Amino acid sequence: MSRRFPLTLAVALMAGFIALSYEILWYRAFSFVSWGRPTVFGLLLGCYLLGVALGSSGSRRFCREDDGDASGQERSLRALAAFVFLSDVAGFLVIPILARLAQYAWFPAFGVVAVSAGLLGAVLPLVAHFGIPADDRAGQRLSYVYLANILGSAAGSFLTGFVLMDVWSTQTISAFLGATGLVMVALLFLASRPSTPRAAVGLGTVVLAGVGAVFASPVLFEHLYERLLYKELYRPEMTLADVVENRHGVIAVNHYQQVYGGGAYDGAFNVSLVDDKNFIERAFAVSAIHPNPKNVLMVGLSSGSWAQVVAHLPGVEHLTVVEINPGYLELIAKHPHVASLLKNPKVDMVIDDGRRWLLRHPERKFDVIVMNTTYHFRAHATNLLSADFMEVARAHLLPGGLHYFNTTSSDDVQRTAATLFPHAMRIVNFMAVSDSPLTFNHARWERTLREMEIDGVPALDLNVPHQRDVLARLLGMGHTIEQHAYDKYGLEGRDDLLARTAGARLVTDDNMLCEWEDLLKFPKGADL
Amino acid sequence: MRILSTLFFISGFAALVYQVVWQRTLFAIYGINIESVTVVVTAFMLGLGLGSLAGGAVSKDPRRPVVLLFAAVEATIGLFGAVSLPLFRGVGQATLTLSPPAVAFVTFLLILAPTMLMGSTLPLLVAHFTRLSKNVGRSVGLLYFINTLGSALASVVSVLVLLPRLGQGHAVHVAALLNLAAAATAFVLHQRQKGATSSLDSGDSSGETPSRTAELAR
Repeated sequence: MSRRFPLTLAVALMAGFIALSYEILWYRAFSFVSWGRPTVFGLLLGCYLLGVALGSSGSRRFCREDDGDASGQERSLRALAAFVFLSDVAGFLVIPILARLAQYAWFPAFGVVAVSAGLLGAVLPLVAHFGIPADDRAGQRLSYVYLANILGSAAGSFLTGFVLMDVWSTQTISAFLGATGLVMVALLFLASRPSTPRAAVGLGTVVLAGVGAVFASPVLFEHLYERLLYKELYRPEMTLADVVENRHGVIAVNHYQQVYGGGAYDGAFNVSLVDDKNFIERAFAVSAIHPNPKNVLMVGLSSGSWAQVVAHLPGVEHLTVVEINPGYLELIAKHPHVASLLKNPKVDMVIDDGRRWLLRHPERKFDVIVMNTTYHFRAHATNLLSADFMEVARAHLLPGGLHYFNTTSSDDVQRTAATLFPHAMRIVNFMAVSDSPLTFNHARWERTLREMEIDGVPALDLNVPHQRDVLARLLGMGHTIEQHAYDKYGLEGRDDLLARTAGARLVTDDNMLCEWEDLLKFPKGADL
Repeated sequence: MRILSTLFFISGFAALVYQVVWQRTLFAIYGINIESVTVVVTAFMLGLGLGSLAGGAVSKDPRRPVVLLFAAVEATIGLFGAVSLPLFRGVGQATLTLSPPAVAFVTFLLILAPTMLMGSTLPLLVAHFTRLSKNVGRSVGLLYFINTLGSALASVVSVLVLLPRLGQGHAVHVAALLNLAAAATAFVLHQRQKGATSSLDSGDSSGETPSRTAELAR
């Protein structure tokens, strides 16, 4: 007992560490492929737990009453070693298999998770059976084993989720976890006191698996994020221009300067109204709605294009940007159109959760709060789109202040905003809301478009005919509000919007309504 | 055993609904940045681990009425669950401006009681089942299977049904009702076992020790 129990605790600890570390890695990959839809978290956890449940149930047949003698213990250890080995191999392969399946239908990859988790789930009962005698203290001893397993899991959450993800890629962390598992297999196998030929075969298998993993890893993980991003559109010649992996997530940039945060389109590196691939006119429109936006807050940075435009708007004296992922700063530094943002004395960058930052700084008030929010159907989008958040934002507005944010065309979000604020206007898919009257000032709009410069470059060069056409189109956009007919790319007044969205409901923190649209509809490959 | 297993399935189901909803509530208050996520997830795990220790310590005495203890644990989790969201939001707002370590400590304290209670149930029932089966691996395997199966089902049902249709508040109320129903059933089970023990006692004047009669009753 004295020797078995510490070994039992060590195995439970390591198994917990490996299992939770893999769970974190898998969640990152599944979240990326699904654009972070909230259903994926539940489905992944469900498959993971189902696998663990079935594994723990199946492992019971390896637990025999006569395992208490020496040969029984050795048999138990070998069964354990075999399960740890298989779970290690399966766990390592989950992400490469998901990436390959993504080209066809990635949903079956949930089954691979269940199988892998099943093998992992068999470990706890097996190790408990090996290390705990069936006496009155079984419950107490199990509590130590369970605690060791949980401490290992907590260590996995901290070490892998917090530390390793900031320094290593998904491929390297997978290799590290695979190697850790193989070391555990070898130790368990040796502890079972195998005969010399058996030891040679067993350890040889472990070493071969390790060497195989080292050589296969670059192939298995090749074009990982390209496969997960482009899915059915993926072709081997497609490569991403940049990938930033850190503990906050994964940001990918393609050769068209489009940015994908956590697998979802997140804007593009562009501040030009002429080569407009990101509807950047919505950022310029701030100056048409607010007469004097001196002090501006921006929640979310992404490519920095919006921040670059807003920082150069007439009248802006100070721009505070709160961004959750510092990885965007690395990317901005590499792109000349926006790089000056990082040195602009008018701009302060804060790395934090936007909502938390606002709640923690009730004293900070702004003329304008701008959010080019991510898709409303992504997990946690509610935190920035609910009525509760709109009240938080309202409390940070100066008199005449404007809250201006992307609804990604959600009727529920648009209606929520127009219901909460007495003054509201839709600008393309953005909502501009305020407690003070709102007008789209055509004169200011035209002046901004004609005169504004970014880093000394005019927003529009009116000597060029095509750019004069752009000016005419944008000036026309300002008048669409008077037509009282729905124009997806135009403006809409509050009354028209409330009439159009009569069937929509208010989004709250409690109902998270916007996140639960089309529960099982997952995105296809990213557009090129 | 079958009834107790079913109750443990329900317990696992309710626990995961709480976990999903509580995490979302805490993330809305403290943020979804990785620091907050790590604090919340780690606090959950530590609570479960400490609860496991407590449950293990209680379970070593065979005279302790495990089924009654299980009923009490489930009832307490259910009652806590019913008031949990307003409590979390209130405490969250009051402690938002504290330093990160202080916030981590408050988060830990907030969920310590319920997660400890959740963590205590596995060793309690393993002790009970092992006394019957004399096989630790099978007891752990069976109970872990049942409890985790409940949690697996809850994961899927939460995101496909409970949260989309009921929202966070009502989802937690469903979980609380399940806990309270499990508690009531376990209490009835305990009373029946106690009745069986009493009849054994009255028909047998051999003067067996309480631990022996308790074991017979199981």
